[in-house]
Amino acid sequence: MIEAKGLTKVYGEKTAVGGVSFTVQAGRVTGFLGPNGAGKSTTMRMIMGLDAPTSGSVTVNGEPFAQHKAPLREIGALLDAKAVHTSRTAYNHLLAMAATHSIPKSRVREVIEMTGLGDVAKKKVKGFSLGMGQRLGIAAALLGDPQTIILDEPVNGLDPEGVVWVRNLVKYLASEGRTVFLSSHLMSEMALTADHLIVIGRGRIIADAPIAEIITGKGHARTRVRTDQPERLMQLLAGTGVSVEVHERELLEVSGLDPRGIARAALDNQVMLYELTPLQASLEEAYMELTKDEVEYHSHITTGASVPAQAGGK
Amino acid sequence: MSTTTLDRKSIRNSVGPGPAFHRVLNSEFIKFRTLMSTLILLASTALVMVGFAALAAWGTGQFAEQATQDPQAAAAIAAQGGDLAVTIPTSGIAFAQLILGSLGVLLMSSEFTTGMARSTFAAVPRRLSPLLAKLIVVVVSAFLLTAVSTYIAGLVSLPIVDNYGLKLDLGSSQSIKLLLVNSIYVAAVAAIGMALGTIIRNSAGGIMSLVGIFFVLPIAFQLIPGDFFKEASKYLPTNTLNPMTAVEHVPDTLEAWQAALVLGAWVVVPVALAMILLKKRDV
Repeated sequence: MIEAKGLTKVYGEKTAVGGVSFTVQAGRVTGFLGPNGAGKSTTMRMIMGLDAPTSGSVTVNGEPFAQHKAPLREIGALLDAKAVHTSRTAYNHLLAMAATHSIPKSRVREVIEMTGLGDVAKKKVKGFSLGMGQRLGIAAALLGDPQTIILDEPVNGLDPEGVVWVRNLVKYLASEGRTVFLSSHLMSEMALTADHLIVIGRGRIIADAPIAEIITGKGHARTRVRTDQPERLMQLLAGTGVSVEVHERELLEVSGLDPRGIARAALDNQVMLYELTPLQASLEEAYMELTKDEVEYHSHITTGASVPAQAGGK
Repeated sequence: MSTTTLDRKSIRNSVGPGPAFHRVLNSEFIKFRTLMSTLILLASTALVMVGFAALAAWGTGQFAEQATQDPQAAAAIAAQGGDLAVTIPTSGIAFAQLILGSLGVLLMSSEFTTGMARSTFAAVPRRLSPLLAKLIVVVVSAFLLTAVSTYIAGLVSLPIVDNYGLKLDLGSSQSIKLLLVNSIYVAAVAAIGMALGTIIRNSAGGIMSLVGIFFVLPIAFQLIPGDFFKEASKYLPTNTLNPMTAVEHVPDTLEAWQAALVLGAWVVVPVALAMILLKKRDV
């Protein structure tokens, strides 16, 4: 379990992470989603004790990372596929890391096989593709058979087969009861891999919820409706919280009212519908919706400061 | 609830050994010997030491031969206590200190330039322990390599000086003193290099500072007029070597024990600063 409380990192005048609090639970894959530069990597480096927080704290399995007696056996991390001296072979890199915790050579060979690096293990990392570098980073993270696994952008540069492999691996690790914390800026990947999502933007947590909840969150569920009397239907549906988009002459998209409500209104008023399809928002759309709020929130603060009388106005 | 506590306890018990110092030392030694660049630097140090000694043996022999005909040269030899050959094995020391000092810089700066530091300090979050382990590895190997190279250099020089009728006794107390003090000196330079690499975190910058301290400052201090720089020059690390190995105290230089203390300070201060910065800064 990872627990962050008011975690803040300020570089000079730039706030990279602004007081984030979240909990990453064991037994499920938690995705850490945000655009590049949102503060994902900084947060992960603070979890690993590499960067000291400006304020706030973060613990892993109840203790700050540096307090653990055997860190590699508690937490394995892929923070950067290039956290390797590239003139060393993959095997020797893992061997040197394993030596710090007396992890046997057999385990080194095991993670090499597990990550599919068998053929290149005795080659210098210099010649590795980005994908092989990622596999080596994942091998290093798994070395100590840790309870908690942190992976920063693990599918970057992986081929499609590698992407599926990472997806299955993290799901398997979570199913064993481990804590898996995975960052990505690829929403489609998160939709397929994560059970729970923490969304970060501009150093703030925008959402922290099960992935299904984020996708079907309030205001995101829409219904596609085809009718030969679109104007009439629009009049009927007009009301608080309902919005209607006209896509074609007879094709509408309704949000704010469920399909049953739409059908009821149509039936009561003798309007014929010839399609009524509930639409699920994609994670992309849900994410855009979330970050749009974040942007509006910021601009509201600035206008609010200069025009205080606006409060209460509509 | 009780099952979760039970589970957690069983996981805790299965957690194996952590990064005790001897394990970190082993890890750093693995890192040291698995880099081709390190091995090349070590081999070139040995080569330079032996090569320069052979050249010096030849040059000294030529000089001694001349002295038999030239009373002026003979007087110069007599002024040096008559023992011309004893410093031949350590002739290449200026280059050994440069190479092994740079090795000290590189072993730490490369951690930061390659990103390896993130792996190193994630595995061992108490950051002083990898630094100390690295220091031990580089200091011990610099000492051993210099000592062994000096001895081999002596062995190679023997037949050459013998050819000119000069005497070189590798077992004499002055020979042993030169071998040990020079080896300690080079080990100290390697430690200074590592401290610079930790502070500057950049290979080129670290090596340039090392060259600045050991090669540029001594010359600059000589060129700048004034007694202050003449006096200060004695306290530069390069100028501690001769007082420590002199047969007799040479006027206007430090006493041997003073020189040893100055060299010690040149090691302790940068290493302490490196430790503080390594602990404080983000990786």
